[in-house]
Amino acid sequence: MNEPVLTERHSVTELNQEKVESPFRETMRALLHHRSAMIGGGIILFLILIAFIAPLLLPFGYNQIDADARLQPPSAEHWFGTDDFGRDIFARVVYGARISLWVGFFAITGSIVIGSVLGLIAGYYGGWRDTLISRSFDILLAFPAILLAIAIVAMLGPSLENAMYAIAIINIPTFGRLMRSRVLAVKQEDFVLAAQAIGMKDTRILFHHILPNSWTPIMVQGTLGFATAVLEAAALGFIGMGAQPPDPEWGKMLSDSRGFFQSAPWTMIFPGLAIMLTVLGFNLLGDGLRDVLDPRMKQ
Amino acid sequence: MKFRKSAFLIIGLLFVLSTVLAGCGGNSAGGQGKTLIYGRGADSPKLDPALVTDGESFRVTGNIMETLVQYEKDSMNVTEGLATEWKNSEDGKKWTFKLRDDVKFHDGTKFNAEAVVFNFQRWMNREHLGSKKDDFIYYGSMFGGYKGDKGHVIESVKAVDEYTVEFTLKKPQGPFLQNLAMSPFAIASPKAVKKDPSKFAEHPVGTGPFKFKSWKKNDSITLEKNNDYWKKGLPKLDRVIFKSIPDNSARLTALQSGDIDVMDGLNPDDAKRVEKNKQLQLYKRPPNNVGYLAFNMEKKPFHKKKVRQAINHAVNKKGLIKSFYANLAEPAKNPMPPSLWGYNDKVEEYEYDLDKAKKLLKEAGYEDGFEVEFYAMPEPRPYMPDGRKIAEYIQADLKKIGIKTKIVSPEWQSYLEDTQEGKHEMALLGWTGDNGDPDNFLYVLLDKDNTKIPAQNISFYKSDKLHDILIEAQKETDQSKRTEYYQKAQEIIHEDAPWVPLVYATPPLAGQSYVKGYVPHPKGTESLAEVDIQK
Repeated sequence: MNEPVLTERHSVTELNQEKVESPFRETMRALLHHRSAMIGGGIILFLILIAFIAPLLLPFGYNQIDADARLQPPSAEHWFGTDDFGRDIFARVVYGARISLWVGFFAITGSIVIGSVLGLIAGYYGGWRDTLISRSFDILLAFPAILLAIAIVAMLGPSLENAMYAIAIINIPTFGRLMRSRVLAVKQEDFVLAAQAIGMKDTRILFHHILPNSWTPIMVQGTLGFATAVLEAAALGFIGMGAQPPDPEWGKMLSDSRGFFQSAPWTMIFPGLAIMLTVLGFNLLGDGLRDVLDPRMKQ
Repeated sequence: MKFRKSAFLIIGLLFVLSTVLAGCGGNSAGGQGKTLIYGRGADSPKLDPALVTDGESFRVTGNIMETLVQYEKDSMNVTEGLATEWKNSEDGKKWTFKLRDDVKFHDGTKFNAEAVVFNFQRWMNREHLGSKKDDFIYYGSMFGGYKGDKGHVIESVKAVDEYTVEFTLKKPQGPFLQNLAMSPFAIASPKAVKKDPSKFAEHPVGTGPFKFKSWKKNDSITLEKNNDYWKKGLPKLDRVIFKSIPDNSARLTALQSGDIDVMDGLNPDDAKRVEKNKQLQLYKRPPNNVGYLAFNMEKKPFHKKKVRQAINHAVNKKGLIKSFYANLAEPAKNPMPPSLWGYNDKVEEYEYDLDKAKKLLKEAGYEDGFEVEFYAMPEPRPYMPDGRKIAEYIQADLKKIGIKTKIVSPEWQSYLEDTQEGKHEMALLGWTGDNGDPDNFLYVLLDKDNTKIPAQNISFYKSDKLHDILIEAQKETDQSKRTEYYQKAQEIIHEDAPWVPLVYATPPLAGQSYVKGYVPHPKGTESLAEVDIQK
């Protein structure tokens, strides 16, 4: 009686080992077959590559001023033309990619980390902690995001770092609320109850069991949030509250070229295109991720 | 996502609404007769010229109120205004003015010697101030203070008869006549002032070619023709509207689309485009200004002369002019423009030489450089079309000699306050001459008397040697002797280098080709009495 059962169990395990992939691999495979996600990913990879490699190959520095070569249209020498200082716009756009990616990455990482921890605490413990954290999120969300960012930068003083902090802060509630709602669902699951039943510590339950089961929407939101962060950094730069001269931040470049958009449109078009491309890249990738990770979308 | 959609909807609606409203404004502004709409960068703070020092106020009040003597149409030479004749006594202490007998204020009262006396009493006694925040600031700095002050120049003002006024001075004042022609010393109607002293700045009454009609704050000021103007046949226009459009490019767009007729503050880069456009004409205001970089000498390391001289060697003025002035400027070497008498052309410019700059820094003990905050103005000024970009340009050169700068740019009002209180380390600023006298540049901007907060001398440069010369030059009435004093003063200033004098700019303006008779005046504002529209 005992033996056949054992064999049966054994065979089931074997079967599983053959057919089931790790979720990560599965996601990657699905992603590779998702067209718009691949385009988005390609754009981002291209931008990262350019940001890190191209500065080594550029013949011009981003702050190389030449009064004799100002406002020149795109040419073989200056691919994107020059601005009113006579600086090479291609060099500035390329260095600008570094700044935008840097700001986007750190701002979003910061808000994911802080938002997730707060969301975990609020969702898992509930009670006064939940009230405190959730109401703080509500307060932050009550302000229009960019206005809040401007207020924060106005308090801290205009600089790229402070713009980054501001963007991180205004994005915390998005991730926090997302995490909290996931935690509320996951903590009802049997495996959490089981973990609690065997007396596992809260921190271990939170970070080893609940977090890994709640991270997918955060990842999707993070990718989409990256695009927003790049836009917000550009907006702050445009009004002079982000990157400071001579940093070639895209939003600031746009603002600097306002006076020439009729006579020298290239000073505006290329930084504008760079912003558009980056935002498009992250949005496509984010949408793709959502499709791939959403169980309902699976066939 | 829902939020975004509705946000787009709202923004879209706002656009539609603003276009509709803008259209309405254009129609209602037309009215009957000839109307000239003058586009400019900012609204006037106050419409009582005696209370202000800024050009946007004078631009309007100069058309409502007039001075005893005036500057010629296109120069700083003094000619007759409300006074037709004047003479100075032998000892230089007594000035007698014969006034016009055919002039009436807009409120119908007669202009006479009593009115002149009333105005001077008002400024020197400060008894008519509407509030403590008000101040007859320019009177104090041009005439050595107020009644009872030790340095006050004017002893008394008397009406000898109905149309003769006599000024008695405590000591001769070289630029006295030039000072009287300045916009702040325009004669107001005594009746209007007495009626409501604190509100006079909101509805000025004078003798000028136009009468004040209405004022929409931060938007527009409307003036109407004075039909009883004493110059027969003038003004030619029926109405003038001063409209504020802060952005230079937006103002040019408004001109191109015909919403305005004349604009101040054209971007130098757009000058060529305006010149090519047959429907527009380009004006160039005669240069009478200086744009400069001031070091705060009370802060380290600018207490060291060699540091200041080093930075003087590190600024590429020619490059600046090419990049941001479209060559509509001259590199500066003195704190006053060459169009003014007394200019010292023998002063040798600190040439652009980074090696020399480095050497001087080394000698001063700052071989490794230092870090400073660099104030750059947020708004276009006639002497500096884009302060922030000019600062960015200078920043790149300073970096090469090891000086790291952080450009800060608070909004205009705080900018002026910060620099007047000496909060800055380095700052960009400039000055347009108001009376065609070197005193108006050198004494106002660099004498130790003007380092008291709120300071006009934002370098906080205190040189006794310079002070003595400038005071001597004020007392002197012989122009050739005064020239000598001022030339010497420029040498002292050059050696001490409290500034980097950057440029003498020729500010470009633009107008419709059908606007006739508009002549930009070197003092920065002008009467529109002779302007006409011939469509």
